[in-house]
Amino acid sequence: MMETLLTPFHYEYMVKAIWVSALIGAVCGLLSCFVTLKGWSLMGDALSHAVVPGVALAALIGLPFAAGAFFAGLLAATTMGFLKARTELREDAVIGVVFTTFFAAGLLIISLRPTGVSLRTIVFGNILGISNPDLKQIAAISVVTLTVLALKWRDLVLFCFDANQARSLGLNTTRLHFTLLTLLAATAVASLQAVGACLVVATLVTPGATAYLLSDRFGRMMFIAGGIGASTGCFGAYLSYFLDGSTGGCIVILQTLLFLVALVLAPKHGMLASRTQRRLAVQGGVT
Amino acid sequence: MNWATPFQYDFMLAALGVAALVGAVCAVFSCFLVLKGWSLLGDAIAHAVLPGIVLAYVAGLPLALGAFASGLLCAVGTGFIKNNSRVKEDTVMGVVFTGLFALGLVLFTKIESDQHLNHILFGSLLGLPRAQIIQTVVIGTLTLTTTLLLRHDLLLFCFDPGHARSVGLNPKVLNYVMLILLALTIVASLQAVGVILVVAMLVTPGCVGFLLTDRFPRMLWVAVGTAVFASVTGTYASFFLNASTGACIVLTQSGVFLVALVFGPKRGLLVARRSSKRGEDLGLETGSATK
Repeated sequence: MMETLLTPFHYEYMVKAIWVSALIGAVCGLLSCFVTLKGWSLMGDALSHAVVPGVALAALIGLPFAAGAFFAGLLAATTMGFLKARTELREDAVIGVVFTTFFAAGLLIISLRPTGVSLRTIVFGNILGISNPDLKQIAAISVVTLTVLALKWRDLVLFCFDANQARSLGLNTTRLHFTLLTLLAATAVASLQAVGACLVVATLVTPGATAYLLSDRFGRMMFIAGGIGASTGCFGAYLSYFLDGSTGGCIVILQTLLFLVALVLAPKHGMLASRTQRRLAVQGGVT
Repeated sequence: MNWATPFQYDFMLAALGVAALVGAVCAVFSCFLVLKGWSLLGDAIAHAVLPGIVLAYVAGLPLALGAFASGLLCAVGTGFIKNNSRVKEDTVMGVVFTGLFALGLVLFTKIESDQHLNHILFGSLLGLPRAQIIQTVVIGTLTLTTTLLLRHDLLLFCFDPGHARSVGLNPKVLNYVMLILLALTIVASLQAVGVILVVAMLVTPGCVGFLLTDRFPRMLWVAVGTAVFASVTGTYASFFLNASTGACIVLTQSGVFLVALVFGPKRGLLVARRSSKRGEDLGLETGSATK
């Protein structure tokens, strides 16, 4: 029994996958607090799809995976900003048009030159077969993201809560906006390799949403979200060995389950708690 | 190989016909979505159909049924969680649809099936079997007819739910009608263009219509025209390019969007620039006149 449970640790690629998933999970979890607070959940979704042409082109001309993806992500974000400012279209429609265009461009490139990068990698991620250069890229992205968050998190929190107040306090909100967008694009690239394009948004949203149900204080919320990201990354990668299923799928299912548990059972903001509160309030009103 | 070669193949003719129909169905609905601000709900539902498809395959049910049920579950689940927690709607949507999609992926890798994941995700317009073509045509026509018959009610609901209530319509019922129609549209288009690109079909034509006209009936025509043109051109081009059909269709749509964005007669960027310049001139003149 014990022997079976320990089997995944006998394989170097599994050990690597487990700790990389945990690292990416933690970084994305921290960022997810800002994303959910700012209401940028669908921006995360859009960016993770929009990086695909960058990945495809980088693979074709032999550039690092992350560089191409990052550039494409920022280009998409800039395009969205431009369209939103210049047209009367709603923001969600603008996001929809831009990210599907980028994704279709990526698909076109891949279908024309199938040798560069496979669709499978983009849909499922490639955590079990991750190469050492990719590993270094992910580590570098994580270090940079964590450093920026450590230095700037108070400004970013203020910006997410209330951009106007941040501006009136003398913070440069344009720069903060751009910083957050850049961090989002960078982590989306890292997460793309772990869970695949369609599930990146989960790692950038679900831990933050869960932590938001569990805590009222932002510092604690970041702590919880980072912990959820790291542990689900770890455990999801481990489980996928036994299930023989998609690693990204396992990680995201675990995160969703945790969210559902928090939704029902959270001590203050859970459904059970608020039902009890309502009943108490009604009783209080009657007596 | 000359320009007429694609028309000599039955599969190409079928693909062109199905693409045009799917384009038209999605385009009509996209006008409502763009006005209502539901564009990304389309994205969520489209991803969420995956577990339904896999489970329907296992149970031996029609795939469209499973897809429909699981898409609707996503929409209803999002609404339920939003009403029962303090989490914002867009976040809830992100949590729910990715959860369902992840479940679908894991189920898919566990279950041996003759369905190709690539076909579900990216569509297989050029290799549609006869049964699927019939299914697409039936669901598509049904959805299109229903949407067009209900267009006045839906339009009122999109613009002003309060007003809709005051003239005796039930916004709650209309909300569900629209969700069901959205799920049906997605199910109809799924096999042709795939989960991911169906979003483009559900957003871009409506945006083009929005950019080009102020009146809803005309917006519908512009959107349908854009979509049918893009579907036919994209499918035709993909034959010669030997490239992904879905991608070619979507990129053609984006091209039309770009043209409308720049050259649109009323709201195009060029016109906007000219009129803002004129506005500045006028502003200067009136300014000097008042001085």
